[in-house]
Amino acid sequence: MIKRIKFHNFKVLRQAELPLERFTLLVGPNGSGKSTVLEALEGIRRKALHPLSVLTAGVPISSKTYTEVRLEWGKPFEGIATVARWHTSAGTFSISHIQITPDAEPPAADPIRAQLDSLLARIRVFAFHAPSIAAQVKLTPNAELADDGSNLAAVLDRLRDEVPERFEALNEELHRWLPEFDHILFKTPAEGVRKFLLRRQADRTPIPAENLSQGTLLALAMLTISYLPSPPPIVGIEEPDRGIHPRLLRDIRDALYRLAYPEDFGEKREPVQVIATTHSPYMLELFRDHPEEIVIAEKVGNEARFHRLADRPDIEEILQDTSLGEAWYSGILGGVPQEQR
Amino acid sequence: MKLAILGESAADEAALEILVSKILNRPVELVQPSLRARGWPYVRDILPSVIKHLHYQTEAEGLIVVVDSNDSTIHDPSHDSEGHVPTCRLCELRRVVKHTLQHLRSVEGRAIPRVAIGLAVPCIEAWYRCGKDPQVTEAVWIQARKEGRFPYTCNGLKKAVYGTDRPSLTLETQRAHEEALRLSNNLDLLEQNFPNGFGALIRELHSWMHQANSTSQESES
Ligand SMILES: [Zn+2]
Repeated sequence: MIKRIKFHNFKVLRQAELPLERFTLLVGPNGSGKSTVLEALEGIRRKALHPLSVLTAGVPISSKTYTEVRLEWGKPFEGIATVARWHTSAGTFSISHIQITPDAEPPAADPIRAQLDSLLARIRVFAFHAPSIAAQVKLTPNAELADDGSNLAAVLDRLRDEVPERFEALNEELHRWLPEFDHILFKTPAEGVRKFLLRRQADRTPIPAENLSQGTLLALAMLTISYLPSPPPIVGIEEPDRGIHPRLLRDIRDALYRLAYPEDFGEKREPVQVIATTHSPYMLELFRDHPEEIVIAEKVGNEARFHRLADRPDIEEILQDTSLGEAWYSGILGGVPQEQR
Repeated sequence: MKLAILGESAADEAALEILVSKILNRPVELVQPSLRARGWPYVRDILPSVIKHLHYQTEAEGLIVVVDSNDSTIHDPSHDSEGHVPTCRLCELRRVVKHTLQHLRSVEGRAIPRVAIGLAVPCIEAWYRCGKDPQVTEAVWIQARKEGRFPYTCNGLKKAVYGTDRPSLTLETQRAHEEALRLSNNLDLLEQNFPNGFGALIRELHSWMHQANSTSQESES
C-alpha cells in the first residue's frame, strides 16, 4: 500500500503531499490536482512496463530545479520509497526505489526491487467511457479491462468461463443494483468476437450493450472491477459516480469498499488500494463515517494542496449541524472553485 | 394499515416495517416504498414535502420517521412540557410536522395523515444491540455524554452489528431484518432500554390504535 505521495514541481502539484488510506476519496475543484495524481500513477505504471515511456512534468526543468513524484510505501515495503525523477522538460524520467528509514530492508535487494516493479506495472487508472464499455471486442487470452472500460465483454466472458460462481454472484448483484435486468448474456457476431447484452427481466428480452443507458454501462463496469478474482493491487478511478443515479451511489460505495476491504465482504483476496475522485456532494456524504478516507484538494493561486478531512480538529462539531456534502458545497471545508470578484 | 416509512436506507425501511407492524398488531402496507432521506438535516428539510405528497397523492394513513440522534440533545419528557427544544431532533421534527399538518388543505374523504417519529440514540444499530449488549442503552449514553465521554460510537456499534463499519447494503438490510424480527418479540425491553427515542415511536403508534379503537366503538354504538 502507498502511505503517501509527495509531489515536487509536478504540474499543478508544486509542493504537495497526499496521504492515502486503503480507500481514499479526493474532492476538489477542477484543476486542483485530483486527476494529476492519477496521471502520475498511470505514468509510473507505463514506465514500469515500458522503460522508454515518457510523461511531461508540465513545468520547465533547469539545472537548478527538478521534478519528483515520491511514493512512500506502507507494509510490506515500509521504509522504502519509489522515486520518479524528471531530468528534462521533454518528459523523460527515471524510477528508483530508495530506502528512507535506516531499519528498512535495503531496496537494492533484487526480490524487493522486482516485487515493487511488478506492483507498479499492475497499477491501473480507470476513466470509464460508456460507448467504449459497450463496444464489441476481439477475444484475447487473459483479457483485461482497458482504462476507458473497453474490453468489458471479453472480461465478463472470461469471468464466466474461469470463475462461474463469481460470475453468478455478479449477476445477482447486478439485479439488485438494476432490478430491471437479471442476467448478462453474450453474443458472437463473428468468430473470436464478443459483445454482451443484459436480459430485461420483465419480458426476458436481451438488450444489446449499445442500447443500454450510459449509467447502466458505467455501473456495470464498476461492478465488474469489484468482482474480479484478482483485481489490480492499486486502482485509481476518475469519478466512479459519473452518470450514475444518486440512489445507486451507495452501491458504488459498496463496490469501492469491496475492492479495498475484501475481508468485510467475505472475500479472501488481497485488498486493493483505491483512489477515487468525485465532484458529487451525494457521493461524498456516503463516506462521512470515515473522514480519514477523504482528502480535500485545494487550489491556491497556481498551486494545489491536499488536506485530509480527519486532520481538521473541528470536523465532528461542524458535521453535527449539517451534512458533509453540504458543508463541502458551502466552501467551509475548502476544495471549491474560486469565483471572480 | 397503509403507511409510508421515511428512512435513510432500504435496511432501515425493512426493520421499521417489521417493528411497526408488530406494534400496531396488523400488517403494514407500504403505500410508497423506497422513500428516502439522506440523514440529518435532510430529513427535517424534506419532511413537509413528504407529508404533503402523502396527503394529496396517496392513501397513506400514516408516516413513520426515524432519525439518528448522533451527538444531538436526547429527547426527554421534560421537553414536552417546555415545548420545543430546538437542539432535540425529535422536538424539531415534531415542530415541522405540527406546522405542516396545520397548513394542509383538506381532501374529500381523507383524514390528515398521522406521523410517528422515533429517535435512534445514537443510531439505529444501538437498537439492534438491545438484548445482546446491556451496556448499550439511552441511559448509558446520556450519562456518559453528561460526563463528556462517548460510551460507544456509531462506527463501533456497526462493527458489533455487522462485523464491520463498512457493511454492504445487502448485509445491512439482511441484519436489520433479522434484528427487527428478534426485537419484535421483545418490544418491552427495547422500550425499557430506549424509553425516549424508541418510546416516543411506540407511544405514538399505541395512541393511533386507541384512537382507531375508540372511533370504531363510537361508530358501533
Ligand atoms: Zn425533545
